Amino acid sequence: MTASDSEENKQIRFDLTTSPHLHSKWSTQKVMWLVVASLAPSIFTSLLFFGLYQLLIIAVAILFAAGTEYALQVMRNKQPTILDGSAMLTGLLLALTLPPNFSLSATAIGSVVAVGLGKQIFGGLGFNIFNPALVGRAFLQAAFPVQITTWSKPHLAVDTISSATPLAAFKFDHVSTEIGPLFFGNIGGSLGETSALAILAGGFFLIAIRIVNWQIPVSMILGMIIFGGVFHLINPAVNPSPLFHIFAGGFLFGAMFMATDWVTSPITSSGMWIFGLGISLILVVIRLYGGLPEGVMYSILFMNAFVPLINRLTQPAIFGIKQGGQNEKSY
Amino acid sequence: MKKVIRMILTLSIIGIFSGGVLSKINDWAVPYIEANKKAATEKAISLVQPEGKNYERIKEAPFEAYKVFDEQNNLIGYSLVYEGNGFQGKIRLMAGVSVDLNKITALEILEQVETPGLGTKVTKEPFTSQFNNLITTPQIDWVKGVKPDKPNEIQAITGATISSKAVVAIINSGIDQLRNFHDSGVK
Amino acid sequence: MKKQVTLSKEFLKGLWDINPIFKQVLGMCPTLAVTVSAINGIAMGLATTFVLVCASLLISTIRKLIPTQVRIASFIVIIATFVTIVDLVMKAKFPELSKALGPFIPLIVVNCLILGRQEAFASKSKPLRALLDALGNGAGFLLALFVLGGIREIIGSRTLLGFQVMPNGFEPWLIMILPAGAFLTLGLLLGFANLYTGRRDRFEKEALQAQYRSVGKEAVFQNDPSEKS
Repeated sequence: MTASDSEENKQIRFDLTTSPHLHSKWSTQKVMWLVVASLAPSIFTSLLFFGLYQLLIIAVAILFAAGTEYALQVMRNKQPTILDGSAMLTGLLLALTLPPNFSLSATAIGSVVAVGLGKQIFGGLGFNIFNPALVGRAFLQAAFPVQITTWSKPHLAVDTISSATPLAAFKFDHVSTEIGPLFFGNIGGSLGETSALAILAGGFFLIAIRIVNWQIPVSMILGMIIFGGVFHLINPAVNPSPLFHIFAGGFLFGAMFMATDWVTSPITSSGMWIFGLGISLILVVIRLYGGLPEGVMYSILFMNAFVPLINRLTQPAIFGIKQGGQNEKSY
Repeated sequence: MKKVIRMILTLSIIGIFSGGVLSKINDWAVPYIEANKKAATEKAISLVQPEGKNYERIKEAPFEAYKVFDEQNNLIGYSLVYEGNGFQGKIRLMAGVSVDLNKITALEILEQVETPGLGTKVTKEPFTSQFNNLITTPQIDWVKGVKPDKPNEIQAITGATISSKAVVAIINSGIDQLRNFHDSGVK
Repeated sequence: MKKQVTLSKEFLKGLWDINPIFKQVLGMCPTLAVTVSAINGIAMGLATTFVLVCASLLISTIRKLIPTQVRIASFIVIIATFVTIVDLVMKAKFPELSKALGPFIPLIVVNCLILGRQEAFASKSKPLRALLDALGNGAGFLLALFVLGGIREIIGSRTLLGFQVMPNGFEPWLIMILPAGAFLTLGLLLGFANLYTGRRDRFEKEALQAQYRSVGKEAVFQNDPSEKS
């Protein structure tokens, strides 16, 4: 087996689409590094607003994610694939969903769970049902509920009253936050989620080079405008406007970087629309009626579980067969 | 036919036998269970009305409440058992209330299914002791993140705001009930 | 007639070879629900063992009197009687424990482990064997519940049987005492149990191979799952 052979195998393993199998110009490794590059603005804003300590959180998360991947692959007598960067990306994404100044040991636990229970236990990259970074985040949310909802004030804050996130402030104290700070990110929140501008910059880059399909982010935002808008029109005093929903919390970060994960999102175009709209609907319900102020993580994980079903239902008819015809059941 | 009779007979014998055994055990256990229940109620009442020596169930009330008396058999207040929805399920609590219904003497959570380690903090210090001598007029309020500065305010637990709010809401509606009952003239 | 195994083996098989939790995967409802602490696990294990032993002994004694058509009904009535006894005794004498285990004591009635042992073993065996089998299975159940409860208690609340075993600096993982923690812990334990069994089987097979080779023959195993992969 030559070096190029093994490179080829990696690509085939990563490809989830049904036939025809087209050769992609991207290798897993290259894709992962491009995603990391698109996250650079968000990393930068997190350091800018919350201080250099956050770099340690990111480093610990990446280190432990890669370490877990390596250890488990060696344990299972598999060729270690940490150099493809997917585990490191999981670690980085996890770190960016954590609150500022989060404990480093808990970060490490989250990384181990993300890669161990979120990914490797299913068989590694391409076999996991749920977004690994969000599995880690959900574990941390359940394990350390107080620490993970303790938000530090951003450094540049001048007129912030409390350190609560805009969503928590809205839910518990009925204080709305201006769209301006929400857009630039000088607000309380997770490392990567505060600056809508930085996320959009990275997201548009990914869509432009076609690593990420535009359908999922667009359908999520559209869904939010529809569902959030309906609730807002019913009772504007209690339910915030859809614009607030979009810019507050982890919605944009989830739409651009979490929901669009290749492995855990639908493969058909119509499936992506169902997926995105579903996330938005669940999210609006959680935010308005749930016990928690934020629900991006749970709504994405919830819809992840439906992806195999969505893929089945939206499978296009084989060329030459009439839709709904007799032959349809034959597969 | 013989088979059917045998089946009926076997089941009947087993049924009668187990019924007999259970009724014996039940006769033995019921006094203990009643005593346990009574001890639990007594303990809770003595916790929420520390000066009470005697108590009597208010039978006319549509909810569970007790009149509490001191050594000289003077009425020193009421103990009110009330329940309502918490974060995940029902919270059942007992509150000691002064005679004029304007002050809470103490609070004891009897049953809850809140998140372990988080919502369950409402059953413990320092949350419960905030209710000692709390004014209930016009109603109890809660604040978050800052120290309460009014005599009818308590501070909600960080990370368990919903459970804290639920406890306050349950006491408020319980006291409302007690007031209505009180005003209706039955004593 | 199948060859009878020794009496000690009858007891020991319940501890590991057919462990109710790790091998039969029976009685999951109490397993997952009550094991937030080691003491709850022990209490549940003891209650179940008591019911299992009494029911097995009684059913095995009267096994020839019960017509096959109504055996399940008879088993359930007998099991329910013993469960109610346990429930009443606990409520009378251990009110705290009874409150902690809540509705899961009455639910022992429908624990598949107990009915399963009656159907699979006690109704076909002599009382002594049925007793040993019930004791072994009960002990295996108790052991598994203790391990599960112990792990969850240590990580979820820093204590074991009420004594603090982890330093104060250790932040308890609340998830471990939530239902999700029960699923995660049980899943990982089952995984490790299978890993161990698989490894042991492989070693045994290799030893057997070596024996065959030493006399110049090749061993052939039928239905070998490991050769497919």
